[in-house]
Amino acid sequence: MEGVKKNKIISAIKGIAGTKIIMCVIISVICIVLFAVMFMQFKTVEETDITAIENMRETELRTAIAEWKGKYEEAVEQLEANKKTITEYEKTIEENGETSELVDKDLEESNMKLGKTDIYGEGIVITLSNTNEYTIDTFDLIDLINELRYAGAEAISINDVRILGSTFISQPQDGLTIIGGQRVASPFVVKVIGNQTYLSSSLSLKDSGYIDRNRARGMQVVLEAKNNIQIPKNTTDREINYMKEGEN
Amino acid sequence: MIFIAIVIGCVIGAVIGIFTPMIPYTYSGYLAIAIIAALDSVFGGIAATLNKNFDLKIFVTGFFGNAILSILLSYLGQKLNVDIYLAAIVVFVGRMFNNLGIIRRYYLTKWENARAKKEQNVSEKAE
Repeated sequence: MEGVKKNKIISAIKGIAGTKIIMCVIISVICIVLFAVMFMQFKTVEETDITAIENMRETELRTAIAEWKGKYEEAVEQLEANKKTITEYEKTIEENGETSELVDKDLEESNMKLGKTDIYGEGIVITLSNTNEYTIDTFDLIDLINELRYAGAEAISINDVRILGSTFISQPQDGLTIIGGQRVASPFVVKVIGNQTYLSSSLSLKDSGYIDRNRARGMQVVLEAKNNIQIPKNTTDREINYMKEGEN
Repeated sequence: MIFIAIVIGCVIGAVIGIFTPMIPYTYSGYLAIAIIAALDSVFGGIAATLNKNFDLKIFVTGFFGNAILSILLSYLGQKLNVDIYLAAIVVFVGRMFNNLGIIRRYYLTKWENARAKKEQNVSEKAE
């Protein structure tokens, strides 16, 4: 009987101790939860810039966010459009660069053809000199120029006077030759830039060529091929007063 | 023993709360309501202990139930555009003051009883 009583008492004590431990655990868990949440809230309140949002309701904040989002999207759209235009501009700039390069090339070529720049290149040099038997006149020079052009001469100069389409060769009186406004005299050094073989072969045709024909008449003609012939630019400048572009 | 459990729980909770990430400001209002509800339950529990009718089941269910219910009600109020959280605060804080009053009165009467007893002892000795 006593043993049973003792057991009952022990189990009762155990039960009381068990419930007490459980209670302690539960209460400590509750304390943990409460203090964790409280400190989270303290931290949040402390670190949030309340003065700025204090007076704003959540709905207001929402609308503000929506507004900012809209603005952001607009800005992004504008940015994309600007990027597009920039790429287009870049494209056109590239194209313009190409065209301007072409124009530059054209201009250079035109300048060379018009004799506005000093030029150099391979070609031949013909020296015509008076002899006792023969005096060179303008027609000999014009004849030579024609022959050279026929043979494909790209540029011609006589005594360093560049011969162009507009250059005149005149002989107002005997012994005075004027080319493009400058007086020149024998020996006439004719520099020609062009294909050396074409030029020299067409001039040196047997009997009917320019050299043979004129040598037969007593003129002294010397032909030499040169790889670096320099021809200075044409200094005369003709003004355009009467002609106009296009049809009347 | 219970006091040790409470202190340990408070310290651990504070550490956890300090090292958890910040919650968004939008939800901190709900959390505040939950804290008020929980505190109300705690003070109610203390008052009940003093009145010797403390029940752990009621305390635990009240602690979590009140917190969750207050959060849900605040959320509902947000959706309905009615500030229900104000009503919750009024109720919980009112009850908190009630419980605090009970606690205060309990200790006051205890203190007064102790003093009366002392005076009685002194007067008895004097006689």
